[in-house]
Amino acid sequence: MISVGKSVNSQQSIVNIKKYFPLLPVYGIYLLLFLIGIIYPEMWSVVTLLAFYCALGQAFNIFLGMTGYVDFGYVAFLGLGAYGMALGIDVSHQTGLNIGIIFIGIILGLLMATLLSLVVGAVALRLRGAYFAIATIGVNEGFRYLIEGAKLWGGSEGLIYFRQLNEAMGREKTNVIVTFWADVFVLVIAAISAFITLYYMRSKIGYALTALREDEDAAKVMGINVTKYKILAFITSASMAGMLGATSWGLKYTHVFPADVFEIHYTVEGIVIILLGGAGTLLGPAAGGLLYGLSKYWLGAMFPGIQLLIFAPIILIIIVAFPEGIVGTMKKKIKGTVLERYIA
Amino acid sequence: MLLQQLSGNLTQGLILGAIYGMATMGLNLIFGVMKIVNVGHGAFIMLGTFVSFAIFTYLGLTPIVAIPLAFIVGFALGSLFFYFIIGKLTNAPELNSLLATFAIGMLIEEVTKFIFGSEWRGFTWDVGRVTLPFTVLPITKIYAFIISILVVIALYLWLRMTRSGTALRAVVEDKEGARVCGINVDRMYALSFSIGIGLTVMSGVILTFFISVGLNPYMGGAYTLRAFVIAVLGGLGSPLGAFFGGVIFGLVENGSYTLLSLIPGIEPFSLTRFVTFFILLIILLVRPTGLLGVK
Repeated sequence: MISVGKSVNSQQSIVNIKKYFPLLPVYGIYLLLFLIGIIYPEMWSVVTLLAFYCALGQAFNIFLGMTGYVDFGYVAFLGLGAYGMALGIDVSHQTGLNIGIIFIGIILGLLMATLLSLVVGAVALRLRGAYFAIATIGVNEGFRYLIEGAKLWGGSEGLIYFRQLNEAMGREKTNVIVTFWADVFVLVIAAISAFITLYYMRSKIGYALTALREDEDAAKVMGINVTKYKILAFITSASMAGMLGATSWGLKYTHVFPADVFEIHYTVEGIVIILLGGAGTLLGPAAGGLLYGLSKYWLGAMFPGIQLLIFAPIILIIIVAFPEGIVGTMKKKIKGTVLERYIA
Repeated sequence: MLLQQLSGNLTQGLILGAIYGMATMGLNLIFGVMKIVNVGHGAFIMLGTFVSFAIFTYLGLTPIVAIPLAFIVGFALGSLFFYFIIGKLTNAPELNSLLATFAIGMLIEEVTKFIFGSEWRGFTWDVGRVTLPFTVLPITKIYAFIISILVVIALYLWLRMTRSGTALRAVVEDKEGARVCGINVDRMYALSFSIGIGLTVMSGVILTFFISVGLNPYMGGAYTLRAFVIAVLGGLGSPLGAFFGGVIFGLVENGSYTLLSLIPGIEPFSLTRFVTFFILLIILLVRPTGLLGVK
């Protein structure tokens, strides 16, 4: 009897591990990026660019891809995360915490972004479609102009804190953290976001979100608490963005200007990445991030000044020809084959 | 003194508001019919300002000539984009159409930059001025006000009096019902998109009657955001609501600027913009169908 119970248990755990197989290609991509950067130091700047776009897509996808709600003000969470890092360093650089101040910065960025997402989620998520998109633009722009207009946190002159970092950790350590570890954190955030995405997909949350994306009213009638799951996805996605902003902007650049970190262009880049890769898929944001980052880098190097002129028609062709993205199209092709287990 | 300044600014605000309203009607027409938000809206306004600039500087003609020309350019571009891109996305999720219109806007900006360069441009079209007790108004601004109102009346008459206008309103009200009545819904989509873009490019010309400096391929972004606020104010999907929304917006923007300038230690220009977005959020919460919108 006991042995039967045991075998059932071990079988279940195998099933559980199998559930997470689709993480392998995603983590493979991130590991490969990291290794390329380590082995070829001259490639590190390209690697960091790609890592940022992958992380942005992966974090944004948790909300935009899974719910189908278009949050045009997503960059506000990254911006607040960057401010969290700035304020965290500014407040704690004389406490003798050494490297600890960075974690204070990340946690503060996470908290600030989460707090904003709670407020926005409670208020704006009552709206749908275009109204939601416009409301979120309003939040982002409103925040930016509040900081500039009321001269909050340095106003439009922003915050610069390279000196404080040096004081707290010494010049050498600061350099390594700013040029290397900040980017490693970005890859870690991408990996965490990917894990959360798959966890949501494989649980009740994922089913609820799929139902919500397909038909919100029908989902409601079926007794799904749509609001709860919507807000959950929104807050998760925003907190990831907060950490991403804290490390990839706040820590890496050691300065924050409101005009830079509330730039709506980053939201659009995130949307392009998700749509390129396939909205609501796990591998999509990583694939889209790589493709977007590489083509942006390549076009910029080959056709300086007119890269956007070339890029705009490419976006349009992709939207019309592959509305489901790379991974979405691929998933249809491999249905029923062994590969299906590894792609989600 | 303050009262004089305030009434002067409000007069300017009224004129600017009429232009803003006129510039938002295209956005609302497209949304009303197709439920697509044109995120590249500002780029088409920018295009209009460059049409005006080119007509005045290169051909030496009065910018009034640019008004019908800009409408034709916009109408043609609208049809082109509809047949190759937007028309294929009418049943796609929002994400696709939002990104498509953004990319179209980007394309317009980049082509303009490619042709005209990215430096700031401007011209001076001076036909005299009128002195009022509290402010001085250049005559071009009065032209802008009158033309904006004429355009609104023309659009109203078209929607109410003509066969195609009535068909368009039928599509806004009930797509399936209109189809059953024998209205070619796809043609109405194409028509509304082309006219919407035409109106938007035309509004760019009229904008140069108010401010004819600071023209730049990337100037449109700020107007896109303003148009969103105005569209929500007047009720998304209602072209005439947009006009009144624009007037209110112009008055609030200029009025609050004057009042905020009195507070020391802040930046009134940025805070004015904060106020407008704050109003947007309040309206979206209280009356998502718009302040003037009728359901």
